[in-house]
Amino acid sequence: MKLTSALLLALALTLWSLPGHADTAAGEAAFTANDCTACHYTDGPAKEKTIDDQLAKKGPELWYAGSKFQREWLEAWLQDPAPIRQMKFNSVTEFNAGDHPKLAAGDAANMADYLMSLTSDAVEAGVVKPKKNAKGRLIFTKKMPCSGCHQYEGRKKKLVGGRSGPSLVGAGMRLNPDWIYAYLLKPEIFKPVKAMPVFIGLLSEKDMKNVASYVANFK
Amino acid sequence: MMMKFTILAAFVFSFALATGSSGQAQEIEVEKVFKFYCAQCHGVSGKGDGPNVTEDFPVSPRNFTNAAEMNKLTNADIKNVVMDGGPSMSKSPMMPPWSKTLSEAEVDALIGHLRVLCNCKGKEG
Repeated sequence: MKLTSALLLALALTLWSLPGHADTAAGEAAFTANDCTACHYTDGPAKEKTIDDQLAKKGPELWYAGSKFQREWLEAWLQDPAPIRQMKFNSVTEFNAGDHPKLAAGDAANMADYLMSLTSDAVEAGVVKPKKNAKGRLIFTKKMPCSGCHQYEGRKKKLVGGRSGPSLVGAGMRLNPDWIYAYLLKPEIFKPVKAMPVFIGLLSEKDMKNVASYVANFK
Repeated sequence: MMMKFTILAAFVFSFALATGSSGQAQEIEVEKVFKFYCAQCHGVSGKGDGPNVTEDFPVSPRNFTNAAEMNKLTNADIKNVVMDGGPSMSKSPMMPPWSKTLSEAEVDALIGHLRVLCNCKGKEG
């Protein structure tokens, strides 16, 4: 009996220590200890009602981080946070200084677990599959102004596109394809006040899926 | 009589204050709306030099301070292109359709702001 208990305890400890099974509570503690709350809020729903509300934020809201990001990317990024936005958050005049704090591997794993636990019911799983979606590509690069604000990898891997929106280079590694679609479909849930146009009624739901599928294919 | 006059004076004074502050608030709001939505391509001062205008940007966003060019447009032309995007006026799709984002009142206020930037009245029509 004692041997069985000891084996079970050892098994539990082994599973606990495996990558991807870090501590959500420790991640939340690290989030607070590292003063992440100074720039990111984690309690939804969205609080912004006016442009002033949006401009008062120093960083993106994270209350739906678990629906938006891919865990593997998140854990790596927290340890080596290369800028995603070329411009400073909420600025059209200052560039991103690239000074986001870095975390040690253990804290990054815990924090990734914590952030991935923050999800939104507005994101339906399994709707969008990443593809070289020709219709999505046409909309993204020609019919709609997406590339005017978002950087992406063009022909011959040349980086093209604008600077005011988050870069979409490698978006397929960073973002959940279903979140990209949900963000286009229900912007009022995720970002009620944003500099990106609302496309509801301008793009069909099918074409929003096409665009999401195309963007989710960016490696 | 004196009492009635005092009440009337107080009413007129508060009305004047309210009107003044609301007029000012409207102007500040327009500049804020312009900076938030339009400056990313057209620049904070409206010269067509926002941060998105890199060497690869396929068109030159309109310079709102160019009175000669802005005078070729009616206010209705501007409203069309803001609401329905560049292709509605045979212009580039880089100009987004803002009809689902901005209210008509905000677009009208923006047109007024553009007329201030160009210091021009535009083509009649």
